[in-house]
Amino acid sequence: MDIFGSFALLLAFVCGVYAFVGGIAAIVTRHPLLIKSARQAGIATCVLIFTATFSLVYLFFSENYSVAYVVEHSNRDLPNLFKVTALWSGQEGSLLFWSFLLAIYVISVLLVYRNKNTELMPYVGVILAGVQLFFLTLSNFVVSPFKVLGVTNAEGLMHYVARADGNGLNPLLQYPEMAIHPPNLYSGYTGFTIPFAFALAALLARYPGEKWIHLTRKWTMIAWGFQTVGILLGAHWAYAVLGWGGYWGWDPVENASLLPWLSGTAFLHSVMMQEKRGMMKVWNVWLVFTTFILCILGTMLTRSGVVSSVHAFAQSSIGNWFVGFLIIILSVCTIAYLKNRDYLKSENQLDDIVSRESSFLFNNLVLLVACIAVLSGTLFPVFSEWFTGSRISVGTPFFNKVNIPLGMLLLLLTGVGPLLAWRKTSAESLKRNFTWPLILGLVGGAVAFALGYREFYAIVCMTLCSFVASTIVLEFYRGARVVRARSGASWIASCVDLTMRNTRRYGGYIVHFGMVLIFIGLAGSAFKSEVQKEMPIGSTMKIGPYELLLQSIDQTQTKNYTAERMIMEVMKNNKPIMMLYPEKRSFPATNQPPGTMVAIYSTLREDLYVVYAGQNEENGPPVIHAFLNPLVKWIWFGGVIVVMGTIVALMKERKAVLVLSAAKEPASAPRLAGALTPTVTLREGHD
Amino acid sequence: MTRAKKIAWITVACAVAAAPFAASHLLAQQESDRAKQIGGKFMCMCGCNEVLTQCNHVGCQTSKAMLKEIDDAVAQGKSETQITQMLVQEYGTAVYAEPPKSGFSLVAWSMPTVYLLLGLGLVVFVISRWRKRGVPAAAGPAGGPAVSAELLERARAQAAKETDD
Repeated sequence: MDIFGSFALLLAFVCGVYAFVGGIAAIVTRHPLLIKSARQAGIATCVLIFTATFSLVYLFFSENYSVAYVVEHSNRDLPNLFKVTALWSGQEGSLLFWSFLLAIYVISVLLVYRNKNTELMPYVGVILAGVQLFFLTLSNFVVSPFKVLGVTNAEGLMHYVARADGNGLNPLLQYPEMAIHPPNLYSGYTGFTIPFAFALAALLARYPGEKWIHLTRKWTMIAWGFQTVGILLGAHWAYAVLGWGGYWGWDPVENASLLPWLSGTAFLHSVMMQEKRGMMKVWNVWLVFTTFILCILGTMLTRSGVVSSVHAFAQSSIGNWFVGFLIIILSVCTIAYLKNRDYLKSENQLDDIVSRESSFLFNNLVLLVACIAVLSGTLFPVFSEWFTGSRISVGTPFFNKVNIPLGMLLLLLTGVGPLLAWRKTSAESLKRNFTWPLILGLVGGAVAFALGYREFYAIVCMTLCSFVASTIVLEFYRGARVVRARSGASWIASCVDLTMRNTRRYGGYIVHFGMVLIFIGLAGSAFKSEVQKEMPIGSTMKIGPYELLLQSIDQTQTKNYTAERMIMEVMKNNKPIMMLYPEKRSFPATNQPPGTMVAIYSTLREDLYVVYAGQNEENGPPVIHAFLNPLVKWIWFGGVIVVMGTIVALMKERKAVLVLSAAKEPASAPRLAGALTPTVTLREGHD
Repeated sequence: MTRAKKIAWITVACAVAAAPFAASHLLAQQESDRAKQIGGKFMCMCGCNEVLTQCNHVGCQTSKAMLKEIDDAVAQGKSETQITQMLVQEYGTAVYAEPPKSGFSLVAWSMPTVYLLLGLGLVVFVISRWRKRGVPAAAGPAGGPAVSAELLERARAQAAKETDD
């Protein structure tokens, strides 16, 4: 099966070369048969990548310990779920998995649009094939996942050897969330290839109309949704597994995932300027390019060992390949832009500074500044080494100091933007739209202060969260009131009806609401507290309103690991409320330090987070590290709302139709062709 | 001396006797808090790439030793600058959790502000350029020639597009 997988991967490379070269020939000659064959080669490439990936998974399940990658990342006692996740646990497999996810996107695009956008699709096919070829080159010739173990005998002949068992999977990865976090994050990274392909193709082909920008926006939203889920699941994994009581440490890998998310978010906002007003075309094209470039740059940073990270894969020469690829992408994008920049001229002008257009400009500014600040902070250790010869670390305190004010600005704009009208906002409209949100925002800040919040940014955050939440609620209220007046339906039904009539707008509001909840959760981190204590059996520990009693310790043994588990009773006001079981798991096959299994008692108010931190000395009492993390649940809950909002925004709108009475049109009036049609779309909302 | 006075004197004497112990405990607590606060400004050197107080390695001996070092230095009455110098001398500049606000590191601190100012400048430039662009005549003068059906249709489509968000 290793030969089969390896051959499938090589064949995928050959088909990829044909899809790329044949595609370029098809664009030049416009020969229908060539166009078709290039597309078919693209589809074949994807099918062969699927084959290679399933072959590798099969090798894990068939315990084939002659394959180096299987030996390094699995063992016989590894549960089946982790035999699947082992696929992306190392450099070689994760790159193949990257190609696999990209192939899902590529085959979807090639099949869905096979008879549509005929002028654009050959370009899209070539660009996608080009990206696939890069990853196939790596998987075939640089970091092949199908390398086998071999030894040279006395005659100098190489022959296969097979190990009896593997080295096992990294304990930190033996956690169910690892089955969904990387696939989501990678789906985000790879998904940004599709908008990149459409944007570059439209620029190269000087594709007329705005169809391409709609396609780009839709695919960006899909990738952005996956990236959001991936980032949040990664944060949750770090929270539940690493045992330091936090969920975001500004690690280079975390930063790398945030960069395309920030630029993708900027694009999803500024694209509306192009769709509505025909403005910011150059900016949008470059935002799409930048987002894709940041995906590749982030991958390079974490896989080449340029920056050190807990997540980073082993240092290898792979970084040079990524640098080469980045140079090619940047060159192609720049040449395409310089050659066709007149195609991107804006159609409209800005009517007033107090308008939705301005708010989008500032929103993009803050998002991009945050993106560049995170990138330069991540790369600063490298720069400092180049310029001064010594590496200066940049950790959490720096990123917090820089990004918290930017986050507050962004939150403010999240509330302000939707209240401004396109083109121009009158003073009366400003007063009408801002009065209540401002009052409610200040009330929110006052409530936070009364509840004991004393950190400056926490109070500002709570004030802004109330402001933004009230703007969203008021938007729904105003729209639903109109629907309700017409239909007589309930408030909930009216809100649903309203949302389904304009899924983009109200889906966007739901996403914003989710972000508000996430910010509330983040503000809570300013008030975390912790206690660490040696606890003999029968002793207690107090943290906040909770008292923890260590009742006993037990040990369990499974085929894959041995666990030492603390049995702890949690009491509040002297009443037992639940049992917690923090544990440490040792995986003998891996020869790696034991992994933690954090025990969490989570409420909307706070998380009681308990870690068994080991023993200070052999046979000493267990050390228990407990944290009280306020409002963390709001982050995960907010994440769910963001995903729901994204799904709503992707849904097709349900258009309401209003039939106009013919009597309203004077019989004598000359009828303008097309001026009044029997049915018009009914539009709700203040703008 | 009344009984009440006796009790009061004994209480005061006990309080005076206990004061040094209580003060030392309080001082130790303050020192420990200060050590923790200082520890938050350095990286753990075990390879976890986390801040010293947030090392994610279970029972990390490196972070424990570093925190003890800081604890001892605080107890000896060393200033934060002295402790910083001590750690940098021992572990190199990689020990900083945030770049120092001097020398080349100032670049890291000033960059976000520079980006923001440059970006603001760009936004102001773009806005002024967009506003300078000539406003196309939207409609003819009152009583002038009627708007063509095609133009009206285009205006309707444009209005619909711009109001549907």
